[in-house]
Amino acid sequence: MNKVKRYLAPALVVCMAAVVTGCGSSGSSGGGSNLVAKTQDTTGKKGGVIKMLWSSDVDYIDPGAAYYQLSYMIDYATQRPLYSWSPDEEKTPTPDLAEGQPVITNGGATITVKIKPGIKFSPPVNREVVADDVKYAIERGFNPSVANGYAGAYMGSIKGVEELTSGKAKDISGITTPDSHTIVFSLKQPSGLPKGVTGYATAAVVGALALPLSAPVPRDYVTKNGFDSGLTSKYGTHQVATGPYMIKNDAQGNTVGYKPTQSIELVRNPNWDAATDYRKAYADGYQIDEGNDNPSVAAPQILDGQSLIGGDVGPPVATLQSLLKKKSPQLVLAPSGGIRYIALNTTFKPLNNLNVRKAIIAGFDRALVRKLIGGPVSGEIATHFIPPGIPGFDEAGGNAGPGDDFLANPSGNIELAKSYMKKAGYPTGLYTGNETLTIVGTSGGKAQKTAEVTQNQLQKLGFKTKLQLVTQDSMYTQFCNAPKKQPAVCPNVGWLKDFNDAQTLLVPTFNGNNIVPANNSNWPQLNVPAINDAMAKAQVETDPAKAASQWAAIDKQITAQAPAVPWVWDNSPNIASANIKGVVNKFNSSWDLSFTSIK
Amino acid sequence: MARYIARRLLWVAVLLFLVSLVTFVIFYVFPTADPAQLRAGRHASPAQVEQIRHRMGLDKPLLVQFGNYLRDIFTKGDFGYSYVNEQPVKELILARVPATISVAVGASILWLFFGVLVGVISAVRRRSKLDRTAMGLALVGISAPEYWLGLVALYLFADDIGLIPLFGSANSYVPITSDPFQWFNSLILPWSVLAISFAAFYSRLLRGNLLEVMGEDYIRTARAKGLTERRVVLKHGLRSALTPIVTVFGMDLGLLLGGAVLIEVVFNIPGVGRQAYDAILRADLPMIQGTVLLGAFFIIFANLVVDIVYAFLDPRVRYE
Repeated sequence: MNKVKRYLAPALVVCMAAVVTGCGSSGSSGGGSNLVAKTQDTTGKKGGVIKMLWSSDVDYIDPGAAYYQLSYMIDYATQRPLYSWSPDEEKTPTPDLAEGQPVITNGGATITVKIKPGIKFSPPVNREVVADDVKYAIERGFNPSVANGYAGAYMGSIKGVEELTSGKAKDISGITTPDSHTIVFSLKQPSGLPKGVTGYATAAVVGALALPLSAPVPRDYVTKNGFDSGLTSKYGTHQVATGPYMIKNDAQGNTVGYKPTQSIELVRNPNWDAATDYRKAYADGYQIDEGNDNPSVAAPQILDGQSLIGGDVGPPVATLQSLLKKKSPQLVLAPSGGIRYIALNTTFKPLNNLNVRKAIIAGFDRALVRKLIGGPVSGEIATHFIPPGIPGFDEAGGNAGPGDDFLANPSGNIELAKSYMKKAGYPTGLYTGNETLTIVGTSGGKAQKTAEVTQNQLQKLGFKTKLQLVTQDSMYTQFCNAPKKQPAVCPNVGWLKDFNDAQTLLVPTFNGNNIVPANNSNWPQLNVPAINDAMAKAQVETDPAKAASQWAAIDKQITAQAPAVPWVWDNSPNIASANIKGVVNKFNSSWDLSFTSIK
Repeated sequence: MARYIARRLLWVAVLLFLVSLVTFVIFYVFPTADPAQLRAGRHASPAQVEQIRHRMGLDKPLLVQFGNYLRDIFTKGDFGYSYVNEQPVKELILARVPATISVAVGASILWLFFGVLVGVISAVRRRSKLDRTAMGLALVGISAPEYWLGLVALYLFADDIGLIPLFGSANSYVPITSDPFQWFNSLILPWSVLAISFAAFYSRLLRGNLLEVMGEDYIRTARAKGLTERRVVLKHGLRSALTPIVTVFGMDLGLLLGGAVLIEVVFNIPGVGRQAYDAILRADLPMIQGTVLLGAFFIIFANLVVDIVYAFLDPRVRYE
């Protein structure tokens, strides 16, 4: 596959690749008994090297740039951010490098984190981690030679970020280290708050502290060797670890264990102290072999082999039924925290008519599209835009959704669709205008079939359509992300959480203030001031429960605007050999390398 | 001959320049992904995307970009940085060339041996059961897609998922320098699959050529001189019949050295073909340029070698 992937969403590309090639079942609910258990047995036996088969490569080997499910698998095993996610945790990240939960003061304007003493970098650095290493790790995320993909979105409200990025300052003044084991983040109020609303984007900053960007990077080692100077940072191929594993390196620190697009070798980090970590690190190491594009070969290798696990390799649809019968324990499905939908351009005639959009959704056979990627096991049919596992999902109606009639029937209701078309001014219930809806989809595989089904579904209501198929990256960067060139319908888009907060799903994709001329991810170009204002308020809410209900209300408002046909909340399939005791990390919806073991 | 070779070498440079130019133009003329947006990530603002575009040098005029690219190749031997892996293209490609050479050379030895053997036997025993069987099988070999044949070979003979586990499976490739036995074992199936398709074609081609040649007057003369049939066929007939085979072989080997994409994908061999395919999907222009140039170089060079070999095979051919 592509591989792949990266632009769309760090993990979604992989989840999709795996699910697309992966799932299918006769089960009625999304995953049934193969869904990851609420509480997993995380005990295991020490020893042995586990081999992983991947289709693609990490997006970036540098933890400061990494933004991809596979990269996160490596990063969370080799690096210790301030916070991280223990396997079963879905709500609150576990203190990792941090000693405890962040202390939030000044109405959310100040976040203080104490870091644990005695945590050391791997060779060749070999010294204790100090708070300044975390400050540097975050600052370098804004360095163009690293260009972290999410730093600006979630840490942009830290004081001094603008000065750093504009070249007026050499560091971020809003990140201070009063002592070697304390780091303080000072926030400014985000711009664009509605009148009368005050507050800080505390939740976004705190959420991002559990991403790999907050893993310490030794400033002295990087500066001395000039890794971050020049066009492209070279720290990734000279990185040091704080987690239980490290990418195998030589005495000079060159990561000889990483061969781009070929393999990654993880070995134990000799400086890791188990007493300071919640990770178990049962396996002695991991050998990751990449380029396993064909699931018909790779999946049997894993399932019938010994000590193998899959990364983005899932079981092929054709063999899934027998797999579920014969080797069911070897398949674990994890909700990805992502959603796939078919974006309807709300600025394009006749899609600028709300009733037309409702008609399209009402008549759309979403179950048919899901069948293309494997049926119910691939995930629940989506009824709104916050996926399961994200705070606000239940408040927004859970699996049943907010109750909009046009989303009630997963197989589509053509009569209801026609009634909406009549309300839109088309007396026959079919479109009779002159506009042609341009659909730009991804060529090849199930994505292309999804695009073709979309075309058929639109034609059912009398729409004239023109389907253009291009590569996935081209579909995004040249068409769907460019409002001026944006087609009427983008059938192959989706979004994945950055962390367990609904704002990471709804703000980039449905906030009208985020419509930009290039790299736009509000594909429907939805711009409803009431929704934009509600988002601004919810972003500065510091009470998690209140925030969840606010995001749920926003989700309902978005769904009522019918900006897209939501069709699946993905599951990620994880497969392993019979002698593997696999533990899934629910945050990353993939095997947790620090807990998986050989039986 | 020396002047001819010198002239051809000059053409190699000109052709490589043209190939590079065409690749560059295609990349910008047809809808492709925007490398700056891909690198910037999904949250990046247009300003950040532009900043990265500037850093990558993609905001410069196209002619300047192309000129800089050529300048770096000629002055520093620098083929640029991969947009995706952020590592030097030259290093990334060179790391994969041994695998591609292993696949191409091993397979070509097999297919040349079996293709010629079967072709000669079929021609000599024309219309016999052996000939009909061999040509029938050759037709199957030509018709069967490599990708499918590869999968069948894996399901039958791979040592992990095969019904009769005999040879190394997909993903088992190791460099010859690490473990020669494992290297050989891992390549038996890919070599065989490639060789089946090519040998089948070569045997049919050679059979046709040899039958035609064996009807020539000089063959009759050779027989009249009392030479043994073996000598007539192998020394006089085959030498002449091989000329078209050499042409095709040069092209095929050149193409494969540029990357056997399907075989590399099926057997997960980290070769250049697969690298080129991935680069195209990811709009990684420097990598596309590098792999296309390498492929073009091998094809042009193989043609040059073919032309030289011609002169030795056919005394009538002389280059001035």
